[in-house]
Amino acid sequence: MTLAPESPSMPDQSNNPVPPGSRTQNERAISAGMHKSEVGSDKSLMDRVRVREQQAMSEIFDRYARMVYSVALRVLNDSGHAEDVMQEIFFQLWRSPESFSSSRGSLGAWLLVVARNRAIDQLRQRRSAEPVDEVVLASNTNLQSEAERSIIMQKVQGIIGNLPNEQQQSLQLAFFEGLSHSEIAEKTGQPLGTVKTRIRSALTSLRKRLEA
Amino acid sequence: MRDGQHISQEDLALYALQTLSQDESAAVREHLSECDECQAELASLRGDLAMVALSVDQKPLPAGARDRFIQKIAGEVLPASTAAKFTEPISIDRSTRRSHAGWSGWLAAAAILIVAAGLGFQVSQLRARLLEMNNRITTLEAGKSHAEQVAELLTAPSAQRVLLSAPKTRPAPSGHLVYLPLHGELILQADNLAPVPAGKTYELWVIPADGSAPIPAGLFRPDAAGNGSVVLPSIPSGVSAKAFGVTMEDAAGSKTPTAPILLAGAVPASGE
Repeated sequence: MTLAPESPSMPDQSNNPVPPGSRTQNERAISAGMHKSEVGSDKSLMDRVRVREQQAMSEIFDRYARMVYSVALRVLNDSGHAEDVMQEIFFQLWRSPESFSSSRGSLGAWLLVVARNRAIDQLRQRRSAEPVDEVVLASNTNLQSEAERSIIMQKVQGIIGNLPNEQQQSLQLAFFEGLSHSEIAEKTGQPLGTVKTRIRSALTSLRKRLEA
Repeated sequence: MRDGQHISQEDLALYALQTLSQDESAAVREHLSECDECQAELASLRGDLAMVALSVDQKPLPAGARDRFIQKIAGEVLPASTAAKFTEPISIDRSTRRSHAGWSGWLAAAAILIVAAGLGFQVSQLRARLLEMNNRITTLEAGKSHAEQVAELLTAPSAQRVLLSAPKTRPAPSGHLVYLPLHGELILQADNLAPVPAGKTYELWVIPADGSAPIPAGLFRPDAAGNGSVVLPSIPSGVSAKAFGVTMEDAAGSKTPTAPILLAGAVPASGE
């Protein structure tokens, strides 16, 4: 097994003067082969998806489908519905790759937020509260590699596990059950303002400790 | 809801969670459309929410989920059924039109109107498709012309070929690792590593396949040539690994890895 640095600084285009959109079938096939062995960056994969390369889309699916499915399953607690949400998200990305651009954040983080929002929409049986192309997020977290994801996941679980119980509870109810602050207040018997503060404090703590 | 001139962080968090009422959401949206500062904070909050989502334990996909997706995108590219629908001839029975009068005539007229409406819809679909095909042809022709130009340049006998490389570029670091899970035995040989600052060290990690916490698998510092190794570190046996990573830690080592990962490698699916 070979270990290599992650996130090459100029993936894909460093040794090919032809932009992906102008490559011939053969060049795309070679490029696809290179990516099999070199692991394409999210950006280069999305560039190839924009020129309708199914191979690139399947690589994105392989990279993030488990993550997206797991979030949907956590919210919906039903494997069939969770798969529906996952399939819809990736199919929408395939049909409208412009709905994501790197200016909207990292692809992995963006998919996580979209997966959670879509699953909550389904749970509440409501129309989508927000089009995916309006979901903009600031995240420099690199989720492209399995190893990086595992390490960050462990770290996040540790941070959330160490939050005060009441903050954990409010965050979980809002994020995974989609309860409004008034519903959480009713469920926990706490004042509305307290619930709001707890959710905000939980997110602030998470951000600070991840940045530390 | 307003905190002075801006939306309070509490309410922005609830907006990001999509748990505000419709009226409250509309008020936030209105403010966001004019406030870059609140837009930036909302984007940061969504980044935080992505990390909350990442805390979920990873579950395997349902059997066949990948195949279903691949079939779906393949079907979307070649809509054979749609093409068949477009080319299917429409038959009109003229004999029935002559043999009935009165209500049957009105019914026939209504039927014709419906067919005409259907035809009109199909015509508009065909026009849209034709436009799409024309656009694709234009794109393909542009791509072909570009590709031909590239091919001519690459094969021209008179073309000058020059190899460019960055002067004194340090070769990329890499590592070769051999792992025997059953015995908990491991050897890492890494090359071209960057020097380690004083008070720091490289640390190797085993990333278990079961999703449990990364296991520290030895500290090492490279020599002057950038070579470093870990040989038979003390690690538990029987751990199935999905990946290995190297991070930089304080000289005494760490119990949990510190991002970023400097070297990483996934165990092949076959386990070899």
